[in-house]
Parts: sequence; structure tokens; C-alpha cells
Amino acid sequence: MTATAANAGERRRYWFSIAALAVVLPAAILVHTGDTIREWLRDMRDPIAVESGALQRYAGADWRLTGLARLPGSLPKTAVVLAEFEATVDDPAQLAENRCQVALTDDRGRRWQPAFLPESAVHKAKPAAADKPHCGLFEGTSTGDTIMMAESFVVPEDAKSLALSVSLSGALPAYLLFR
Amino acid sequence: MIGSIKGPAAVLLAAAMLYGMQRTTPLYSDITSPVPVTGRQGERVDTSAFAIGVANVHLAREVTASSFGRDRTYTTSGVWVIIEAAAAAKQESLSLTSAKWLGPNGVRHALSQRLSSMPGMPGTERLEPGIPRPMLMAFEVPESQLSGATLLIARSAVTPLAEEAWIKITDVRAQNIRSTVKLGRGNRSQPWTLEAQ
Repeated sequence: MTATAANAGERRRYWFSIAALAVVLPAAILVHTGDTIREWLRDMRDPIAVESGALQRYAGADWRLTGLARLPGSLPKTAVVLAEFEATVDDPAQLAENRCQVALTDDRGRRWQPAFLPESAVHKAKPAAADKPHCGLFEGTSTGDTIMMAESFVVPEDAKSLALSVSLSGALPAYLLFR
Repeated sequence: MIGSIKGPAAVLLAAAMLYGMQRTTPLYSDITSPVPVTGRQGERVDTSAFAIGVANVHLAREVTASSFGRDRTYTTSGVWVIIEAAAAAKQESLSLTSAKWLGPNGVRHALSQRLSSMPGMPGTERLEPGIPRPMLMAFEVPESQLSGATLLIARSAVTPLAEEAWIKITDVRAQNIRSTVKLGRGNRSQPWTLEAQ
């Protein structure tokens, strides 16, 4: 083998290694962050739009929004949004093992979490709704039961096109979006 | 001659570089520390998750606060710094639970736990998007740490790489230390009252 031939072989190996980096580096990053990416993908959500009053099958129950009322807030320029919804149980086992997350969204992508205790306006205007439980008590139900739930949110007065999203951990990435 | 020096010189240079890198390796806590978003007292500071503005900074030798209908006086061997601010969440409901007073000597003072149950204190109320709320903070700091300080506000003290508002406090002078600041309970939209004496 001559010196030039050895050089040519070395050069080829050098460029091959450089080119391989372009493939190997992203692959290494992918492998090392695999779990994070999987979690991130699971967080990518997939809404099921439901019209007000319509029934929608989700996570072992039939869901329906029964009311989305706007009440005066106790702070200036705010409103209280009271969302009442119900689930008719179809598959108690499937429903029971879920954690429930509820949020209110608007057309600007803002997201409100539910208040832990209903505001005084709720007690005044809809006392029955104030006694309804939060979303998330699905243990010990049987087929045909209807679970009535209510959540209240404090939003600014100018919040428009509000939608209620309900997601159950076992049914993600799909979630319900009531308009 | 030169060729025989080259080898050892390269080794020495590499050793020096490695030693330098080893000595200056940042701690894990530095790498994952919050990302500062700077601003000044009196202006709105916007992070991606929340906005905050600091209005008034009161200095006092003691604080009187009413709790459960009784007035209690809190003395300190340093100085009380009582801060009135306003904050709002931007996209998501959140709580601001971490506030620190970064003194000119680099020491961070945590919120005073003695007044943490006062209405309006960080963590007593969740912030909702689009609804600005008043926020009250109280620190006990040595007198030498008053001017040239920075107020650090974040959602929590431990979230890696989250944003933290760094607000330069411009309006504090040692001669403005009052003898007493009186904190009382306010109403829903302004949760506290403050009188300086």
C-alpha cells in the first residue's frame, strides 16, 4: 500500500465519521430523553368537541354539560362561571381508576383552574349546584348511576368563548371540550 | 530541540486546561437555577407565566398586625421591609410562593414567617389569568442590606429553569425607616390596610 492510498482511506473514514455524527447525535439524544418525549407526546391533547346538552361517551361513562352559567364575581371586573355537568356510568371499573382534571379555557388560550370552594354568588344563585361534588369521585358507582358535578371558576369579565375541558387520566390524550 | 519540548508542553497545557475546567465547573444548582427576568421598582415586569409590579416599599423598626381581633407587635433586630405589589397570572392559574430579598452583599433573605398568614401574602391566594391581585411581602433584613437590593419572585423556590422576576428596589433609604408600620385586615379587593407612623 502506498502512502497516498493510506491517506485516502483515512480521509474517507474521517468524513464517514463526521457524517455519522449527524445521525448518531440525534439518536443518542432521543434515547436519553425517551421518557420525557413520551410524556410530552402524552400531554399533546386530542379534544372531543361536545355541543351543550349533547351526550358524549368517554372513559366508561356518558357525559353531558347541563349548565354553564355566568354569575357576578365578588371582585370588580370579574365573573364567576359555574359549570354543571353529569356522567351516566356505563363501565364502573373503567371509570373508577381515573383522576379527573377540569379547566376553563377561552379564545386567547388562557386556562383557569376550578375554585376549591364555590364563591358566595354560587350559593346565592344556585344553592343546589354549590352542594354538588367536584369531578373525581368515581369510586363505588354502579352501571346506570348518574354522577352530578359542578365546578366554579373566577374569570375576568372580558373572557369570551369559554369552554369547559374535562380530562380523565385513563382516557388521555382524548379529553372532552364542552362549548 | 523544539520537537522534544512540544510534547511535554502540550501535556502541561492540557493539564492546566483540565484543572481550570475542574475548578470552574458550575454546581448542579447553578445550572438549573431560575432564569432571571429583570425590572425595576415601579414598572411592570413580565415573565412568560406571570406579571408583577412593585409599588411601595416601607421600612419600619416594628410591625403591628391584627390577628384574630388582637393587635400584636412584632419587633426585629434588623429592619422590617414591607412591600406592596400587584401580580397577575398570564395563561394559567398559578400561585407565587417564592419571594426573596437579595441584599447588596449577595445574601438572600427569605420571607418572614411571622407574618405569613396575613391576607395578601404569597401563597395565601391563587392568581387567575387576567385578574391582577394585590400582593404583600414582609422581610426582616439587616440595616446594611437595604439599599441596592433586588426582590426575587418566582412560582416556587425549586422549579429548575423556571423564570424568576428580579426587581431592582430603588426607593429605600435608611433615613426613611419608620418606627411602626400598622397592618390591618382590608376587604376582598384590597386584602390589607397599611399605616406608617
